[in-house]
This record gives sequence, structure tokens and C-alpha cells, in this order.
Amino acid sequence: MQHKIKQERFIRMDIFITLLALEIMAYFYYGFRAVMIAGLCIIVSFVCEYFSIIAMKKKFTADDIGCITDGFIIALMMPPSVDYKIPVIACIFMNIAGKNIFGGRKNIIFSPAAVGYLFALTSWEKQILEYPNPFAKTELFDGSQKLVHSASYVFNTTGKLSITDYDIIMGNFAGPMGTVSILLLLITSFVLLFRRDISVGAFVGFIVGTLFMGLIAPVGENTFESLKYLIATNMTIYAAVFIVSDTRTAPRKLHFAFFYGIFIALTSYILLLTTGIENPAVIIAVLFAPVSLGFKNLENKIDKLIAEENAEAEAVEAIVTETRKLSNEISEEYEKSQEQISDIANEAIEEINRIDEMPEENMGSEIEIADKNVCDESDEEINSNIDDVNNQGDDLNKQD
Amino acid sequence: MISPVIMCGNNIQNAFALIYAFSIITLLSVAVASFIPKKLPYAIKITAYAVISSFIYIPIRVLSSEIYPDSIENIGIYFPLLAVNSLIVYQTEVRFFKLSRLNMLTNLVFYIFGFDVVILITAFIREMFGSGTINSNVVDIDFIVSGISQPFGGFILLGLMCGLYRKIRAISANEKNNTEVK
Amino acid sequence: MFFVSELIALLCVNLIFTQALGTSTLLVAARNKTNFVAIAATITVFTTFGTMGAFFIDKIVPSERDYWLLICYVAVIAVIYIASLFILNLISKKFFEKCKLYIHLSAFNCAVLGSVFTVHNKSLGYDDFGFGDYAFFGFQSGIGFVLAALILMAANKNLNSSKVPASFRGFPAMLVYIGIISMAVYSLK
Repeated sequence: MQHKIKQERFIRMDIFITLLALEIMAYFYYGFRAVMIAGLCIIVSFVCEYFSIIAMKKKFTADDIGCITDGFIIALMMPPSVDYKIPVIACIFMNIAGKNIFGGRKNIIFSPAAVGYLFALTSWEKQILEYPNPFAKTELFDGSQKLVHSASYVFNTTGKLSITDYDIIMGNFAGPMGTVSILLLLITSFVLLFRRDISVGAFVGFIVGTLFMGLIAPVGENTFESLKYLIATNMTIYAAVFIVSDTRTAPRKLHFAFFYGIFIALTSYILLLTTGIENPAVIIAVLFAPVSLGFKNLENKIDKLIAEENAEAEAVEAIVTETRKLSNEISEEYEKSQEQISDIANEAIEEINRIDEMPEENMGSEIEIADKNVCDESDEEINSNIDDVNNQGDDLNKQD
Repeated sequence: MISPVIMCGNNIQNAFALIYAFSIITLLSVAVASFIPKKLPYAIKITAYAVISSFIYIPIRVLSSEIYPDSIENIGIYFPLLAVNSLIVYQTEVRFFKLSRLNMLTNLVFYIFGFDVVILITAFIREMFGSGTINSNVVDIDFIVSGISQPFGGFILLGLMCGLYRKIRAISANEKNNTEVK
Repeated sequence: MFFVSELIALLCVNLIFTQALGTSTLLVAARNKTNFVAIAATITVFTTFGTMGAFFIDKIVPSERDYWLLICYVAVIAVIYIASLFILNLISKKFFEKCKLYIHLSAFNCAVLGSVFTVHNKSLGYDDFGFGDYAFFGFQSGIGFVLAALILMAANKNLNSSKVPASFRGFPAMLVYIGIISMAVYSLK
């Protein structure tokens, strides 16, 4: 149990460190405003979590600090030009409606960050889906500047993009501030996969599903180009690492998690093809929460059945061991009694042999002596019994 | 009964129209329905209740078009749905008709009042934060959360309000118990 | 691919997530498997036959006197309701006793009446909205209800768990859960 608690704490810490790396890239491209947004999200998430836990009359532990990673994930999905109030409200909503109403970190139903982002998206769509170009430094208290559609929007609607491979790898194109640094995201995903901080099955399933769909039904004319842009845009890797593969929401078993990832990838891709919607994986991750819960219910049932089967097997084994032990004891007893019988038999044989070897004239006196001994012993016994009976009779007479 | 609150309870004008329609239709329908013989089979009885409320709906609807012409259009299909609400169709049998007529009417009035209060509070919050107005008058709120006036906002707000109401009730019940013990 | 896109379309026109119709019935249906199967089946039957009946009503009632629609639709549903009870009683008394509760629950509720009114509104926008379209819409509404009930049933255990704060356990948590799913459906549009 202690091990499990520690593990959860460390998972969130690892994720926080990787997000910090992405934040540094965001600072490099968009300036101090990116840091300000992240800082606000972290503080608001922490404060909300703290007060929610107090309201629930629970103790605030180090594991609860993990909530700041959810705030950080939301911050990196925002455009750097966003009004500060939007990520703040998204974080409040995430903490209260997306997480703590259902019981907090021990009963997570939806990916909290995805819920917060969706709330911001549905309430301020225009502000969330328009971005400044990289290096167009944003003022700390004035976000007004030339905003453009994201690369995802252009790719989804036209199937084409004109961004160099170097820029794709470095994240030098318009999009949410922490989700475009592809090289860093790839490194992040490998680190988190290697450290088992994210669900391997869900991550692999999502990536395999996306690539498979991209191969059989490419968005643009060129399959390779389509695949490349598909991975680089629509928060594909970011959503795969931080939302779809969240160990709190993804199924535990590898194969279930794999199918969960594949389902999300398949549905998001079809949504992308049919509607051209941006960042479909985040929306589908929320919609597929019931699927994940279904898988988890199934896992619990399987675990329960396995536990019952194991308990039965253990009970049978215990009975078998007990029976073996008993049979061993019986056989030991049997051997002992056999030995005793053989000893007695040997003694008897020896006695018979001894008697047989005696001269015939001594035989009668020997027998007489033996008889006499036996008779004397019997007389003594009978006399003592008679004495006992007489004594008891006297006692009874005295009592009368 | 939840759907009109969630879908149409996003401004005070709609809320007033809903309150007017719901209160009159429910009160009259239950009052008239209480005269239906109790010995009739259940299915016939609840059909009769639905038919009675549908008849009462007609004049109310015609009147509403005069009083709240804009709101009636906004409310749309939820106006007739109010007429066959669970208070008339199911709660009558389960709760109201087991009481004496006076008790029933008192209970019913409180039920209706409760619904009216909820819809008014919900509409007030949703209009203020979702549209930045109160009863169509612009208020000085520089930050509008449009999601709150959407159906999903209605669901979430209603859920939060319900939880808060339960919490307040639990706290007051605890305090009551404590004072009784003292 | 077709199946997934149909599923998305079904979610987008879902009467519960987009119009909040039949939420109370949904909460009852999601409680356990028996309720789910029985209510889902009866609601689908009622919405399908109800919209079929609405086709004929819409032909008779003029659009300027739409306040007569409610009583006509209630009459149609009442006929389906009584007929279904009668037929079930004829088929098997035992089965009738088991199912009558669900039929009572499914007859006059927002899910059924809402789908009938929605199809009426939809038909006003098309000139060639025929009987088949009415029936298909009703069936689709029923399937939408089944899907919504499945979505809610998957989380039923978590929403009623002791980990959920006591004041939010059950109904309030379910409303917030439906709200979040509804938010995701809304963002698909």
C-alpha cells in the first residue's frame, strides 16, 4: 500500500517535470505570458484542490499535490494570447465539476484536464482556437495582437500544410503553446513510457490506431505527408501522453488499455475526417470515459473471478496437504504398530523356542511355578477387592 | 420536469413563463384529477390525468401567447411537456391522492413553490453569468461564461445546486440534533 | 468506419444529451440491468409507435392550431399504452406482471412525448417528410435513449460509490456526469 501511494506521488512528479520542459519551450516561443498562464493554472488548481479536500473533511496529503499537473496540462493546451480568466475558470471547473464532485483523485471518472479544456472550448471557442505565431512575443497584460488559425485547422480543412520538417520537430508553427514541440513531446513520451508513468497499452493503441487510420484513409493526397502532419497537429502526441494514457482513467490491463487507445484513435480520426474539428482526441477522451469505466468494471470482475478461483485452489490445496499429513501420520503409526507386533512376535517365538529347548522333567515344575504365581496374584487381587467392598459397606452404615 | 429547467431556464423571462405555465397547469390538473374514482385501474387513471392536464394546457397556452409571446417561442416543445409532468401523472398516485384534499393541496402548493424557486434561481445565475444580463437588462459583468447557458451548463449547475442544497440540509439537521442533545 | 460515424451522429442527435429529454427515466433505467433492458425496450417501442401515430395527427391538425397537438399526441400514446398492456396480458400473465411497471413508467414521459414533438418540429422544415422518416426518427430516439442509458450505467457504480461526497452521491453526481458528456457532445457540433 505504501509502495502504491509513493508510486502515484512520483508519477505526478515525473509528469510535472516533463511538462516543465514543454513550458520552457513555450517560454522560448511566446515569452513570459506563457509562464504566467502556467503559474496561474498551477496556483488555482492547488487552491481549489486544497479547499475541496477541506470541504470533504479529508486530510491533505502529498499525493493531492498531483492536482497541479492537471492545471499545468490545461495551461499548455491554451493559446498564449488567452485571457487569464479563461484558464483560471477552466481550472476551477476541472477541479470542482470534473474531479472532486466524484470524490477526487480516488474516484477519477474523466481526465480532469480534458474536462477543463472542453469547458473553456465550449464557452470561449474563438479565444481558445486562435493563436499568435511563434516569436510574436505577447505582452504580459495585453494579449491583443494578430491571431491566426492553428496549423491543425489548416490541415483538417485543406489536407495540406507548408511547414518544414525542422519547424515541425521544433514546434515552430501556430498552435496551443505546449503541444507543438514534437521532438520534446516524443522524448517526453519515451521517458514517461520507460518510467511506466503512463498507460503503455493506451499510448501504443492510440498511436497505432491513428497511424493505421492515417494510412488507410489519409487526410491529404500524399499519405506520408498526411501521416507526418497528423502526428504533428491536433495535439495528437500531447493528448496521447497526457490525456488518453492517464493511468487514472485508462484501463489497467494492457490489452484493455490498448483497445481503449485504439477506439479513441479510430473515433477521433473519423471525426477529424468528417467534420474537420480541431483536437478531436481531447473531446473523444471525455466521451469515451464510460468505455474506460466499462473496461475497468470488466477488469474488476475478472480479478474477482481470479481471486475466487485462487481461493478455491488454495482451499483444495490446504485439504490435500492436511490429508497427506494425516496419511503420513497414519502410516507412521502403522509402521510403529507393525514393529511392536513383530517385536512381540519375536519375543513370543524366543519364549517358545526357549521352552522347546528345556528338558522335559523341568517343564512340569516350570509350569507349576508359573501357575502358582498367577494364582497367588489372583488371590491377592480378590482379597483386596473384598476389603474395598467391606470398607465401602462400613462407610454407608456409618452415614445411615 | 428537469428538461424544461435545463433547456429553457437560462433567462428570467423564460423562467417566469415556465413558472406561470407549470404552476397553473399542475395545480388545476391535480385538483381536477382528484375527483377521478380511485377504484379505476391504474392505467386508466394515469391516462385520465394526462388527458385532463392536456385539456387544461389549451387555454393556458392560448393565454401565454398573449402574456409571454417571446418566451413561448423560446420554450417551444418544453411548454406542452410541462403539462404531462411527473407531478401530475405519477406523484398524484404515489403521494397526493393518499392525503386528505386539504393536505394534498397544501403539499402540492409547496411542491410547486419549490420548483418555481429552483427554476428562478437557476435562470438568474445562468442569465447573469451566461449572457451578462438580468431580466434582459445588461449588468456590469465583464466576463461571460457562455457555456453556463447551454444545456450542459444547466445539467452541471443543477447538479451542483442539488448537492449544495443537500449539504446545507445536512448541516442544519446536524445543528438541530446538537441543540436537541444539549 | 460507417458504424463509428453513425454512432457519432446518434450522439449528436441524442435527445438526452442535446435536449435533456427523459432524464428522470434515464436515471431509473441506469440503476440496474433489469431496469435497463426493460425500460430501453419499452421506450423504443413507445417512441417508434408514438412518432408513427404523430404522422397521422400532423396530417389532421392544422399548424396554426398547434395547441391541440398535445391532447392528440397524448391520445395516441394512451392508445399505445393501453394496447401494449392488453396485448401483454393476453400473451402471458406472468410476463405482464413483470413488465407492467416499466410500461407504466415509459408511457407518459418527456422521452416519448419529447421525441414526438421533436419529429413534428423537424417535419415542418421538410416538404417530403414521410411516414418512414417519422418511424425512423422515433426508432433513432429510442436507440439514443439506450445509448445514453448505457453511458450512465457504466458509471453508476462510481457515482454511487462511498468515495463520492455524501451530498453529491447519486442524483447530483449523475446530473454533473450527464452534463460533462453533454458538453463533449456539444463540442462535436
